[in-house]
Amino acid sequence: MKKYLALLLALVMVFALAACGGETAKPETETAQTETAADPNTLTVYAWDANFNIPALKAAEAAYQKKNPDFKLEIVQQSGSSDVENAVTLAAQANDLSTLPDIVLFQDHYIQRYVRDYPTAWTPIEGAPINWDDFGAEKLSYSTIEGVHYGVPVDNGTAIFAYRTDILEQCGYTIDDVTGISWDQWLEIARKVKEETGMALLSMDHSGDDLPYMMLQAEGVSQFEDGKPNFVNNDKMKKIIDVIVTGANDGTIILANSWSEYTDNTIVGNQVAGVMNGNWIIPTISLVAENSGKWAITTLPTIDGGKEGYAANGGSSLYITGNCKNVDLAKDFLAYTFGGGEGALETYDNALRDGGVITCCISAGQSEVYQEGVEFFGGQAIYSTIVEMGSHVPVIEQSDFHYNARTNVGNAITNIQNGGDLEAELQTAEDQVNFEMGN
Amino acid sequence: MERKQKRIGWYFLLTATALICVFSFFPMFSALVTSFKNSTGAQWITESGKPWYYNYARMFQDKTFMTTLKNTFLYLIIQVPIMLVFAILLAQILNNKDLKLRGFFRTCIFLPCAISLVSYALIFRSLFATEGLVNSILLALGFIPAKINWLGQTGTARFVIIFALVWRWTGYNMVFYLAGLQNLDYSVYEAARIDGANGWKTFWHITVPQLRPVIIMTFIMSINGTLQLFDESVNLTNGGPAGTTMTMSHYIYNNAFGTGTANFGYASAMSFLVFILVAILAVINLKVGDTRD
Amino acid sequence: MTERKKMSAIQRRLIPSYIFLVIVALFSVFPLYWMLTAATNTTQEVAQGKILFGANLMVNFRNLLASAKLWGAMGNSFFYAAALTVLSLFICSLAGYGFELYHDKGKDIVFAILLLAMMIPGVATMIPLFKMMSKMHLLSTVWGFVLPTVATPFMIMMFRQNSRNFPLEVMDAARIDGLGELAIFFRIYMPMMKSTYAAAAVITFMNAWNSYLWPRVVLTDPNSAKTMPILIANLAGGYTIDYGVLMLGVLFCSLPTVIVFFILQKQFAQGITGAIK
Repeated sequence: MKKYLALLLALVMVFALAACGGETAKPETETAQTETAADPNTLTVYAWDANFNIPALKAAEAAYQKKNPDFKLEIVQQSGSSDVENAVTLAAQANDLSTLPDIVLFQDHYIQRYVRDYPTAWTPIEGAPINWDDFGAEKLSYSTIEGVHYGVPVDNGTAIFAYRTDILEQCGYTIDDVTGISWDQWLEIARKVKEETGMALLSMDHSGDDLPYMMLQAEGVSQFEDGKPNFVNNDKMKKIIDVIVTGANDGTIILANSWSEYTDNTIVGNQVAGVMNGNWIIPTISLVAENSGKWAITTLPTIDGGKEGYAANGGSSLYITGNCKNVDLAKDFLAYTFGGGEGALETYDNALRDGGVITCCISAGQSEVYQEGVEFFGGQAIYSTIVEMGSHVPVIEQSDFHYNARTNVGNAITNIQNGGDLEAELQTAEDQVNFEMGN
Repeated sequence: MERKQKRIGWYFLLTATALICVFSFFPMFSALVTSFKNSTGAQWITESGKPWYYNYARMFQDKTFMTTLKNTFLYLIIQVPIMLVFAILLAQILNNKDLKLRGFFRTCIFLPCAISLVSYALIFRSLFATEGLVNSILLALGFIPAKINWLGQTGTARFVIIFALVWRWTGYNMVFYLAGLQNLDYSVYEAARIDGANGWKTFWHITVPQLRPVIIMTFIMSINGTLQLFDESVNLTNGGPAGTTMTMSHYIYNNAFGTGTANFGYASAMSFLVFILVAILAVINLKVGDTRD
Repeated sequence: MTERKKMSAIQRRLIPSYIFLVIVALFSVFPLYWMLTAATNTTQEVAQGKILFGANLMVNFRNLLASAKLWGAMGNSFFYAAALTVLSLFICSLAGYGFELYHDKGKDIVFAILLLAMMIPGVATMIPLFKMMSKMHLLSTVWGFVLPTVATPFMIMMFRQNSRNFPLEVMDAARIDGLGELAIFFRIYMPMMKSTYAAAAVITFMNAWNSYLWPRVVLTDPNSAKTMPILIANLAGGYTIDYGVLMLGVLFCSLPTVIVFFILQKQFAQGITGAIK
């Protein structure tokens, strides 16, 4: 027995040693935490892109400091939107919201389900002095759950189609020739471009498969109907997949295997003369300095042509969590900055300059900075164009299973490209989505 | 006296056993309970009118899960033997006392497993990109007529995953064999040489049996690691193309966290299938290779 | 003269072995070499597949320091991994010692049950573990990081297997000298099993340093620095990735484990399957 006591003693000593080490090694952590809790002028926020939405948040912090000089915004970087989602899931599952920050940036496509599954994890933003009419309806359709506003929009996911005008010119086209066209006409132009220059006219991240979604939205059609996947009886969907597979087989649409291949090889690596995605792709396009002045943006083609297509992809909004100790401050901060208040112009102007974040706040989009021509895009005033385009994006049916649909449609594309039958593959995809939804 | 010592022995393993019970078995038990619950884990599955075994039955109708099961076993059957044979071979070569620079070679071959998983997947993805270095080199050497879309085709994508796994873990296993070889009883070899056995015969009849405990340990480790394979599937191919390289753990993760459609009940049920599979394979392994008298 | 001839004859016979080893070594090291060069290039150069050293190292370094809490993450990773290694070695070796050198039927059964613990996918136990840590107020502490993996069946198995060659006569002799069972562990077992400890330390440290999913979950405190793998994942997230900076981060993340291996490699090789000194 004595020996066991000795052993226990030894263990306690080891533990105590480690614990002491622990305290000396991270005093910064401990004090920072308590300070945050006590400090009435500090808010903590989770965000995930050091070159995009984090500069926007810094801009907002600086703007709000004009109103409240003691204000501090602690921005905590995450590796991606999924980290924020996991943090909420874990906190809610453990019934311990204390691990959450005051505010989180959250993906538009997921928020509805998260609010429904974990209502206590969120604080509605009702009562904040925000003029909601100042935002596009499509954007607000995500962050409004059962008529209650939960989030303040940050970036604008409006899709653009950017083309290399020098390449188009080489093949005898101008930017107007690719505006308002049908996808069949587009495929023809793309073939010509491929022949003349060897470049593709479009690429897609085939691990995210966002192209079909955007192309459908430009038609005003969703992947879902009445809460169920709508693939097999969806003629628009069939045509769109046909366009993508044809383009892939022609070599005019590159299906990249990963996000990094999509950005680094196809776009930065100069393999494509056209890029269609949410406007947050612009900083990636702009990475290649020698292409300055050679790009221009326009709207999306449509199936029938004769009109311009509008879509959105991958925006996010800021939400107050259920753990926010200082809800009034958070509401005031959000309303004053991103919500279109007095600091909105400063916030959005700097967010645009530093992070390329384009507002979906209509009045903020009228500022001077937005009217400026952008040298990289041959002097085109792309930002005001994008804000304008954003107001035309049609509202389509959304689903919690957005990504399940995308993944399975993407799988169908792969299989059809390898010789599978379109009808059969779409049926398989629809069945699988139904299965995943538990229908 | 003897009995008292044996009793004291219990105290020594108490801390570890208690920790494993609290931090492994208890969560496992929680997961087992969750596997009979609904998607948020808040309600019993029977409360929504479904049978208690619903989450388990669901697996067998889930085509994606069946694909991941197939993929995982494919990796297991191809990768583990290649890697272990390769590791034994390297260990055997490096065990030769006449070989120079042994430490250097050993270090080179071990180095890959010192790298963090996140990093090595990144490195391989860049190397095997369509515009990546591997294609450039093969093209320059004239081995391939055109660039290969390595990660975009099922066969080549699986090859890249297996290649990456072999690259990372061979050195790790080799070190175990090397150490095993250094502990061998050399008098047996002398005897064998006198009997006129050749190199292959001594290797097969003397080295392998003596290495058996090490081989079993590496086998169990590798089976366990492969059936729980996660990082390569997530970071190298993201399961693509069309889910044909996705592993079970990756799919479980997607169901619990990944795609925003968390289904904790179902994810827990799938985890238990993995657990049972690993346990069965490990028991077979131990039975086949039990040397303890 | 003849001696030298004999030597070179042996070496000549080893030529195929050398060739094979050189090829394998090149394969093993090349991706690491690529990582090194990438850390000195700009992101465009990396994307274009440049494999020579560039001049961008200092710029990458400055950008890395600006975009991430590098030293904080290094410090955290080091502290967490070291704490886990020390505790794990002590607890697991004690258990391995108990299981093997005091072994009887009952302990064998307990051991077999413990082995089951390594067979469940980590994803399944993550939420229950998180709930426990949150109830015990151990989130964002070194304990939260350490406790779930401080006692692993694998480590116990390694110490247990390596104890098989431990000479029982020595123990008996020590008992006659009046040493208690625990004293035998501290004064005789630990020094004699030095190389096993070294091997176990390398493996545990490596696993702890490289672990990603659990630290990501348990280190919830928004204000503190995270660990190196998390830092790298953060660098690799986002719409545009700077590969030069990222690979420099990867380099920083890989260095400590490589150094630990270098320091302990001799004992490591001996200790893996229990050479007794």
